[in-house]
Amino acid sequence: MAKRGKLEIMRDILRIIQESNNLIKPTPLLRKSGLSSTRFKEYYFELLERKLIKEVSGEKQDRHIILSEHGFRFLEKYKAIVNFIDEFDL
Amino acid sequence: MRHPLEFLFPPEIGAELIYSFVIIVSSLMIYYATKEMYELSSYKGIKYFRQAFLFFAIAYFFRYFIQFFLVFFSLQGIIDISPRFILSISLFIFLYSSSMAVFYLLYSVMWKKWDHSKMKIYLFNLLALAIALIGMLFRGIEVSLILNIVLLLFATFMLFRAYKDTKNKQKGKSLFIIYILLFVFWVLNVIDILIPKFLQIYQLIIYLASIFLFMIILYRVLKKTGN
Repeated sequence: MAKRGKLEIMRDILRIIQESNNLIKPTPLLRKSGLSSTRFKEYYFELLERKLIKEVSGEKQDRHIILSEHGFRFLEKYKAIVNFIDEFDL
Repeated sequence: MRHPLEFLFPPEIGAELIYSFVIIVSSLMIYYATKEMYELSSYKGIKYFRQAFLFFAIAYFFRYFIQFFLVFFSLQGIIDISPRFILSISLFIFLYSSSMAVFYLLYSVMWKKWDHSKMKIYLFNLLALAIALIGMLFRGIEVSLILNIVLLLFATFMLFRAYKDTKNKQKGKSLFIIYILLFVFWVLNVIDILIPKFLQIYQLIIYLASIFLFMIILYRVLKKTGN
C-alpha cells in the first residue's frame, strides 16, 4: 500500500468520524485510522488545535469526538485542495 | 529645472498606473481566492504560494501607487518630504518585495526538496534586503543588473530541477514555462525601474506580457479554487 500523505491521513480520520454519524470515541477512531498510537496522537492533537474536530462529553461523561464546521468544510474542499496542490506542483 | 512633482509623475505614468493596478488586483485575487484552502489545510506549499502573490501586490503598490496617493491626497505638503526620498523608499520596498515574491514562488515548488528549517526564510529576507539596498544605492549601475541576472539563472536552474522531479510532465512543463517567464519579466521590470531609458521602446511589451502571465496564473487559480 502506498504511503499516505499528511492531508490524506487527515481526510481519512475526518471521514471515519463523519461515517460514524459524527460521533465516535477515541479508541475506535484509533483502530479504524490504521495509525500507530504515537502518530494517531500527533494527528489527533493537530486536528483539535486546528479546530477541525471537537471533543464532547457523552451521557456517562466519556469523551467523544465530533467534526466541527471546519472539519465538514475540509472534507467538502479536500479534492479541490489536492487538485490545486497538483496544478501548481506545491 | 524640473518641477518636484515631475519626479513623481512623469508623462508616461498613466500606463504604469494601469499596469501596477492590474498586477495588484490580480495578485490580491490570487491571495484571497486561496485563503480558505490554506486555512483548512495549513499546507506549506499553499502558504508560500500565497505569500509570493502578497509580496507581488506590495511590490507593485509601492512601485507607483504610493506616489499616486501622496500627490492626490496632498500629503506631500503635510509631511514635507522630498520626492527623491519618496522614490528611494518606494524603490527599496519594490525591490525587497518583488525579490521576496520570486523567492517565495520558488520555495513553493521546492520546499519539499529543501530541508524544512526556518533558516531558508531568513536567508531569503537577507538576500532580498541586499538586492534592495544595492538597487537603491547603485541606481542604474551594472551591479544590480548582474545580481538580478545571477538570481534569474539560479531560479531557472532550481525550477528545472523541480520540473525534472515532477510527476505530471505535461502540466509541469506549462507551469514552469510560466514561472520562468514571470522571473524573466521580473528582471526586465527591475531593469526598467533602475535604468528607465534602457528598455523604453519595449516598455509596453513588458507591461502587456507581465499582465498576460499574471492573468494566466489567476485563471488557473480561479479554475481550481472554484471561485
